[in-house]
Amino acid sequence: MLPFFRYKLHGYMIIYRMINRSPMPNRFYLTILLMFILGLPGCANMQGFMNESLPFPVYPADQIERNNFVVEKDDDVLGRLAAIRLQNGDTLPDIARHFSLGINTVSSANPGIDLWVPEAGERILLPLSFILPDTPRKGIVINLAAMRLFHFNGNGERLAVATYPVGVGTSERPTPMGKMYISRKKFRPTWYVPASIAEDHRKKGDPLPRAVPPGPLNPLGEHALYLSRSTYLIHGTNKPASIGLRATNGCIRLYPEDVERLFENTPVKTPVKIVNQPYLVGQRDGIVYLEAHPPFEKSGTANWKKIFAKLKNIEKKSGSALDWKKVKQVVLEARGFPLPISKSPDGSEMQMAKPIKVWHPHKLYGQPEIPEFTTDAWYVLAATLRDKVDAQRLAAIIRHQGPSIPARVLTKGDRHRVLAGPYNNKRAAKDAAKRLKIDLELDGVLFKT
Amino acid sequence: MKKFLLVIPMMFALAIAVGGCATKGDLEEAQAREKAIAAKADQAAMDAEEAKMAADEAILKANEAIERAEEAEQRAIERERIAAEKERIAEEKAQKADEAFQQSMKK
Repeated sequence: MLPFFRYKLHGYMIIYRMINRSPMPNRFYLTILLMFILGLPGCANMQGFMNESLPFPVYPADQIERNNFVVEKDDDVLGRLAAIRLQNGDTLPDIARHFSLGINTVSSANPGIDLWVPEAGERILLPLSFILPDTPRKGIVINLAAMRLFHFNGNGERLAVATYPVGVGTSERPTPMGKMYISRKKFRPTWYVPASIAEDHRKKGDPLPRAVPPGPLNPLGEHALYLSRSTYLIHGTNKPASIGLRATNGCIRLYPEDVERLFENTPVKTPVKIVNQPYLVGQRDGIVYLEAHPPFEKSGTANWKKIFAKLKNIEKKSGSALDWKKVKQVVLEARGFPLPISKSPDGSEMQMAKPIKVWHPHKLYGQPEIPEFTTDAWYVLAATLRDKVDAQRLAAIIRHQGPSIPARVLTKGDRHRVLAGPYNNKRAAKDAAKRLKIDLELDGVLFKT
Repeated sequence: MKKFLLVIPMMFALAIAVGGCATKGDLEEAQAREKAIAAKADQAAMDAEEAKMAADEAILKANEAIERAEEAEQRAIERERIAAEKERIAEEKAQKADEAFQQSMKK
């Protein structure tokens, strides 16, 4: 801080001399003062000061903790809420991936915002706060309802927790619950296609080989942790936009960058517990929080009964009343992040902590780029639409396929054409058209520019 | 004496009768009053007619204004309906797109 005080003293001296009618012209001192003020934010040691002293500090995106937290023994609530302003071309899946969140939580936390074509300038809440599941804090714990994995390390007063969003099984092929462990790990795994998936693909006219080698077409990604419950894995993905969705055949998917860290930090034999807890209760600094997620089919009532009993117990033990109107609201809205349900000392409703503001990074991690339109290339006309937003949405969905298919909108008059490409050759364009047909039921038309 | 007694009531009756007869002046005055009353009545009738016409016109204008307001309200309702319909269609489209996307995210 010493240099700062030096600046400050210098500033005071300038002002003093200006007031005391210096023989020098005032304009000179004003210029110096202006330069001094403009120079302040440039100082490295001033940035912290500016952040602390400005009424609404704004943090660079890389300073926001997304995955690694340390919790005290009795704490249940991790992290803090943040907010970011969207820029032109952003999609919620891109924002979700950059901040290591699932699309489910970003979507629930920001109801009414278009996933694919949100308005630029819109403020998005980043729910980077989580309540730990009600289980022993050991090894890996996966909460299906929250679609989040917690990896606990340490046993003392302070516990290190790494947490990542996941994709889980569909209602037809749900992820199994219970206790298991990591039986083995494999870098660049081969995917041996299960018979049920092979049958699904055959029906769709997309027969799969018996085994898919490592590479961009392998849905396991680059890292796989095999569970002791046979045929189930924790793995990466070639469809990163699926994190936070119920889209797997029972496996647990992570973003490629997250599974890489989990893979490195998880030894074989690590215990894994898979639970389904849509309602989570936690306490931090004497305030009781409730986090609610949309419950999976038929699991809501039983879970709610447990949580209701837990809340009543907390109320009885602490002797301070909970805001039951707020409890009902939190459960009904199911916004997927912790909200305070304690009553204020004056009996009024307790407000949620103000989210910290985050600068929009120059580039969102993993965001598929919109390709330039080039001549002498092959394209697939995926659709012609009258509504520009519909066209932009479809192009964004195509770009977020796994592996990504380049796509953009070409507008002429009131027609908005969604083009997939460019491709160097007809065969590549044909493959893209086939994927559009199988995955999105789009009848594409091939053409060369 | 009897005659005298008869003459006195007759004189009284005559005097009363003479008192009851109007003079020419009275008659003219009465006629003038009658005319004035008739004129006033005519004027009142005309005024009433004019007032009625004015009232009818006001009612007509009011009805026209109400119709315009109702039409405007109808148009607003229609606009609102169309906007809601557009919003519903947009939401449906977005939902369909999301469903197609979710489907495409399976292995």
